[in-house]
Amino acid sequence: MSVPAGTALAAPRDRTVPPANLRSWGIARWLVTLALVIVAVVSLYPLIFTVVNSFKTRAAFAQDPLGFVADITFENYVDTFFRMNVPRLLFNSVVTTAGGLLLSTLAALFLAYAVTKLKVWGSNFIFLFIIAMLVIPSQVVIYPLYETILDLGFGGTYQGLILAYGAFGLPISTYMLAAYFRSIPGELIEAARMDGAGDLRILFQILLPISTPAIAALSILNFVWMWNDLLLPLVIMGGSEKTTLMVGVALLSGQYDVSIPLISAGLIVALLPVMVVYFLFQRQILSGAVAGAVR
Amino acid sequence: MTSKVDAPLKSSPSDQRGWRRFALRGDVILGLVLVLPGVVLAILFKLVPLLRAAWLSLFETRGFEEPAFAWFANYESMLRDPTFIAAFRNALLIFATLPIWIFVPLILALLIFQRSPGWKVFRAVYFLPYMIAPIVVGIMFRQILAPDGPLNAFLRMAGMAPLAIEWLNGADSALLSLVAVAFWSFFGLGVLTYLSGLATLPEEVVEAARLDGAGFWRLMIDIAIPLIRPVLGYWTVLCTSGMLIWMFPLIYALTRGGPGSSTMLPEYLVFTTTFEFLNRGKGAAIGMALFVFVAIVSAFVVRRMYMEGKGAAQ
Repeated sequence: MSVPAGTALAAPRDRTVPPANLRSWGIARWLVTLALVIVAVVSLYPLIFTVVNSFKTRAAFAQDPLGFVADITFENYVDTFFRMNVPRLLFNSVVTTAGGLLLSTLAALFLAYAVTKLKVWGSNFIFLFIIAMLVIPSQVVIYPLYETILDLGFGGTYQGLILAYGAFGLPISTYMLAAYFRSIPGELIEAARMDGAGDLRILFQILLPISTPAIAALSILNFVWMWNDLLLPLVIMGGSEKTTLMVGVALLSGQYDVSIPLISAGLIVALLPVMVVYFLFQRQILSGAVAGAVR
Repeated sequence: MTSKVDAPLKSSPSDQRGWRRFALRGDVILGLVLVLPGVVLAILFKLVPLLRAAWLSLFETRGFEEPAFAWFANYESMLRDPTFIAAFRNALLIFATLPIWIFVPLILALLIFQRSPGWKVFRAVYFLPYMIAPIVVGIMFRQILAPDGPLNAFLRMAGMAPLAIEWLNGADSALLSLVAVAFWSFFGLGVLTYLSGLATLPEEVVEAARLDGAGFWRLMIDIAIPLIRPVLGYWTVLCTSGMLIWMFPLIYALTRGGPGSSTMLPEYLVFTTTFEFLNRGKGAAIGMALFVFVAIVSAFVVRRMYMEGKGAAQ
């Protein structure tokens, strides 16, 4: 009950809590839990609804669009596989997301090292320049960005989308790595240098292993937005066969003869990889390391 | 090796001088080589497109005809365009919901932080919507908000049949639906952001307050909220800029800006003007108008990041 010493900040409180208050607190606790449960149901319902629909036949959905599945069918998943060309789109998404992730992480690693440990001339200015690029969202420059990619000869190619992802993931990656590198004592690097280690060895064999938590956090962050992004692949790849899953789903849902169970299966396919990542890395994600750094 | 990192040291002034010596001796070339890829990426795919957008916005473009320099004609026509006005008016209406975006996640975060039974599960479940791609969220909710969809079925079942309207077909209800879906998609991020701020509270204080149930809220209002004010400010800024740049996939899936222009927002208008009406000059002008607002808001985020990440004065 007593507030420990050193917390003089706490306002003096009324210590005589009548039993009635205690009982009402018990009710309050139930109400709180109830509220939390309602929010949880609202958070989960759309996903459950979609999963259930994806296993219904067209006829079963028409009869009972809201109920549970009577007999499970996988035909929607088989259909999406061909209609949306899932293997190809999945491959495209993996290649572009992995490429963008690798590019922005590597470029950010180099930048953060140069800016925090090499003390190149004007390092604070370079750091500011990179993170200031956050104020330019893709929506604002989407057409000139597309033009630039065309001018470079990367229109409709993996490279084009990877370069765009790399550039748009760069500010936050640089910021996270630079902040992390600053917390690494200089003595560590100095000692390695005395042992004759070069800069690249210091970066890749000393700083990189230590920075795993920061790299994990920014990789998750970048993975989620790159995988989920619609505008960049929509404009750069369009409806070509090199487009990503998200564009595929968006275009599929726009077709008129597509049934809701079929779209639902497409949606589940598109979001499954992110759900797997969420499940595998929930500890890192929920610890707040990721949330604290979203643009 | 990690044990050394557990207690990060602030580099002392003598350290700094030591590093300066290395920098003088060490090759400037290496520094340049390391900085180059990132700087080139930022210039080529962010700065150059922005400058090109500014330049393009001064040209009159009609479909595939040769663009003609027209000074500020695009800006003039933009300001007279009712759709443009509607887009910014809608953005203002969405800003009016900001208190909900700020306080609902805060309250949920406090309830979770208070270690309500099952708090770990609630935390994981609340963040789930944020992981789902907004385009997927939009398509899901197009079905949920359909006239015969589950939402209306629920309303009818609960005896609120008059409320069971065509959500995406009325001017006001469509905008309301769009904001509600966006909120569904992003509130978990707010909860987690607040929780990461609350985690910095001293453990003994929190423990004492937790045992003393009723004292908890007192403590939150007296100590926690003032302490996490920076997080609160950060989340507010994030939401404000998010309302301008998070909505594209949701609009694309839910309403395409309609009915009429009741769910048109600047970011979507840039897209339709450029790619559907092929008026690239005017699209760029609208993009520049949007840029001004986004830049003002996100400058706060950049400033905070710079303060945290920059080195000691050089």
